Amino acid sequence: MSTQEEQPETEVVEEPVSGVDYDELEAMLGDAVIRRESHTNAEGFVVRADRVHDVIETLKDDAGFDHLSLVSAQEYADRFESIYHLKKYDDPTQEVSVVVPTPRDEPVSESAAGVFKTAEWHEREAYDLVGVQYENHPDLRRILLPETWQGHPLGRDYNQSKPQIVTFEEHRNPLEGKFEDAEADTMFLNIGPHHPATHGVLHLETVLDGEQVADVEPDIGYLHRCEEQMAQNGDYRYQIMPYPDRWDYASAGLLNEWAYARVAEDLNDIEVPEYAQVIRTMGAELCRIASHMLALGTFCLDIYGEFTAIFMYAMRDREVVQKLLEDLTGQRMMFNYFRLGGVVWDIPEPREQFFENTRDFLDELPSRLEEYHDLITDNELFQVRCVDTGVLEPEVAKDFGVTGPVARASGIDYDLRRDDPYGYYEHLDWDVVTEDGKDNYSRLLVRMREVEQSARIIEQCVDLLEEWPEDDREIQSNVPRTLNPEEDREAYRAVEGAKGELGIYIRSDGTGKPGRFKIRSPCFSNLQALPAMSNGEYIPDLIATLGSLDIILGEVDR
Amino acid sequence: MSTLPVEISKLLGYGANPPLWMEVLSGVIGASIIAVILLLSAAIAGPWAKRKITAAFTDRIAVNRVGPFGLLIIVADSVRLLSKELVVPERADRPAWDLAPIILPFSALLGFAVIPMGSGLQLADPEVGLAFVFGVSSLATLGIVAGGYASSNKYSFLGSLRAVAENIAYEIPLVVTAASVVLFAGTLQLSEIVSAQTQTLAVIAGIRIPMWYAFLNPFAFILFIVANLAEVGRNPFDLSDAPSELVAGYQTEYSSVYFVLFYLGEFLHIFLGGAVIATLFLGGPAGPWLPGIVWFLVKMWAVFLFTQWCRSAIPRIRVDQLIEIGWKGMLVLSFANLVLTAVVVGVIA
Repeated sequence: MSTQEEQPETEVVEEPVSGVDYDELEAMLGDAVIRRESHTNAEGFVVRADRVHDVIETLKDDAGFDHLSLVSAQEYADRFESIYHLKKYDDPTQEVSVVVPTPRDEPVSESAAGVFKTAEWHEREAYDLVGVQYENHPDLRRILLPETWQGHPLGRDYNQSKPQIVTFEEHRNPLEGKFEDAEADTMFLNIGPHHPATHGVLHLETVLDGEQVADVEPDIGYLHRCEEQMAQNGDYRYQIMPYPDRWDYASAGLLNEWAYARVAEDLNDIEVPEYAQVIRTMGAELCRIASHMLALGTFCLDIYGEFTAIFMYAMRDREVVQKLLEDLTGQRMMFNYFRLGGVVWDIPEPREQFFENTRDFLDELPSRLEEYHDLITDNELFQVRCVDTGVLEPEVAKDFGVTGPVARASGIDYDLRRDDPYGYYEHLDWDVVTEDGKDNYSRLLVRMREVEQSARIIEQCVDLLEEWPEDDREIQSNVPRTLNPEEDREAYRAVEGAKGELGIYIRSDGTGKPGRFKIRSPCFSNLQALPAMSNGEYIPDLIATLGSLDIILGEVDR
Repeated sequence: MSTLPVEISKLLGYGANPPLWMEVLSGVIGASIIAVILLLSAAIAGPWAKRKITAAFTDRIAVNRVGPFGLLIIVADSVRLLSKELVVPERADRPAWDLAPIILPFSALLGFAVIPMGSGLQLADPEVGLAFVFGVSSLATLGIVAGGYASSNKYSFLGSLRAVAENIAYEIPLVVTAASVVLFAGTLQLSEIVSAQTQTLAVIAGIRIPMWYAFLNPFAFILFIVANLAEVGRNPFDLSDAPSELVAGYQTEYSSVYFVLFYLGEFLHIFLGGAVIATLFLGGPAGPWLPGIVWFLVKMWAVFLFTQWCRSAIPRIRVDQLIEIGWKGMLVLSFANLVLTAVVVGVIA
């Protein structure tokens, strides 16, 4: 195991080792801690399986780790292990991992759902895919796979080739009879999986009281494509990089690729040349604009109805970005442009043409945004619909591990580009956008203002790239053809994706492929907050709130 | 002013008081002429004009491959829609489910019976013409409610409930605002209301401004246009079919011919709304140079264009907000308008 806990090597300025005093934490946790482990990103405390709740609560309340970023679980030859990755919203470089080993014959571990709401879904997923049982969990059911699934696919004993035989009795409509209460004065309504406003195959089990939402429960997993397992079967160097494009497939590809690049470069101690970092930063921000444009357009579809002009306007502007990205990467959506240690190729020739096109786009953008503000945010009917609907209080948001524009619209000043710097962001001049409205309106506003900030970043990157001396344009560092990180090296790293904190946890098992590859999807955590935001609202506001979360089901279900 | 059947009977040599069989025959001929005009309008509007208009608002081109300007899409679409399978939900409430799509277009067509369309095209001219139009056109809600309820689909059900709430909230302001026009004209007979608007309001730089009630009472005109948007169910009041919330609202379960009837009914209703606005506020078929029917169609289509514009540019409001605007805003304003008009008319007359 590595004892390294430095900041990522990609940084130019060496920051001090993160300011967490792990000895103090260990003393605080007392006898619950069995021993300590060192992960690449943070120290881990191995704790007793029956003390998880206390440990996490202490870390949250007394040590200030208020962000449960990810719960990952895995099976070793001799044990199961759940890892709780904790961070601080104020300073995400302060991290700590809580490792909970459980014996293989009795994988029972105490649940942390009583401390962090977000643990509820993450633990359900760990139970579903790996097979760890969580005690005192309020609702331990499968989440991604159907209720009738046999076995846990990421477990070691799972037989991949055995077909799943589901008897007719089990396959019956699982909702039948469940919601047919003649006495009740509420109505059960299935919104989705096929519904025009669910932005993909999402099923909302909704209970209505008149037109008001009495209860809503998202049912996910319709788009589960075993992305984690596919990544576990690919080699670090080349075979994993195409997959991230397919998580958040709505034009946020480069941001996703960066998530994998960052963690894999950390794990393998790979340096990235500065020139490549600037290209990455520019590409990533182009993707962010494209993604936010799509979010804006589809949100307006939800508010205006299917014939709105704004959707087409947003698509038109996104198309310009898409063309730029196509010039840069050779692909419209599935870019596969990043490589470990850099990017695959340089800015396309003629370079001047590319820079000119980019500048044209940036020059157009302010007038476009003004048009959107005229049409959308200044429209009083739109304000009537969006202001003070779908309110997400910051405490609730933190409880659910909400990140990205959704968190920033609730006034949480959290942006990994600034708080846990990577790439070239810290050398550029830009601002983190926050709003205090906490409602649907603020979430849209944050996205629109972030587009402006992304444009600022791109402009500076273009300036830098134009001036870059020709003999210093190193697009990739020297990376070995095959990568075999030491056995049991573990790393969890996150980047600021379009939807929020997109993180990846990798444990190496000494081979050329990851032993465990776990994705922390921002949409997954954000979607879990939907019931808290929409209970008591009207159906149209439920739809609007869902739209304002800007979920991509490909990333929720992975 | 004589009506279309009387003209036809005169033309065939039976005079103004023909025998009964001739009265029926000329009535049928007259009705067919008007129905053809309207169905043609709706056929152009539905598959073609709506696409072109929406495309113009959204920076697109829309149909341009089938025939000149894509006009043959009307034929292609008709064949497509009529050849689709009629899917009947298992638990549909049969007679009601079948009747609903018929009620909707026919209530709109009935309304046109008393509208003076210019060039002598008016089927009947009863003294209670305006009341008749509102009476039959609000039958459409019955069709929507029946269809939504009989579909035994929760989305349809919610859509039809919304339609009821919407109709009650907006029918009253609509009628009360129309009543202010009646106060000016002193009659419910539509041909009289039209002829009352032929007088001159003012002459500015040699151009004669007619005394259309839109100029005389712009406040009532705006109120009526807004209430009419709710009446025909277009943004910001398209809550009964609310495509991104309720899938397709009351018509979710309808397909094939039944869907076509609903679709047709919606367009006819928009045109009826346009016809009523033209008659009450825009001088009906009045206009220079061109024959009356052309001007009438232009005005009717202008209102249609306006609804499409709203559809592209205005967000849909929530059902509670709709009720609030209806009862607390529109109703109060329309009564204020009525009282003011009554005072003005009383003082002048």
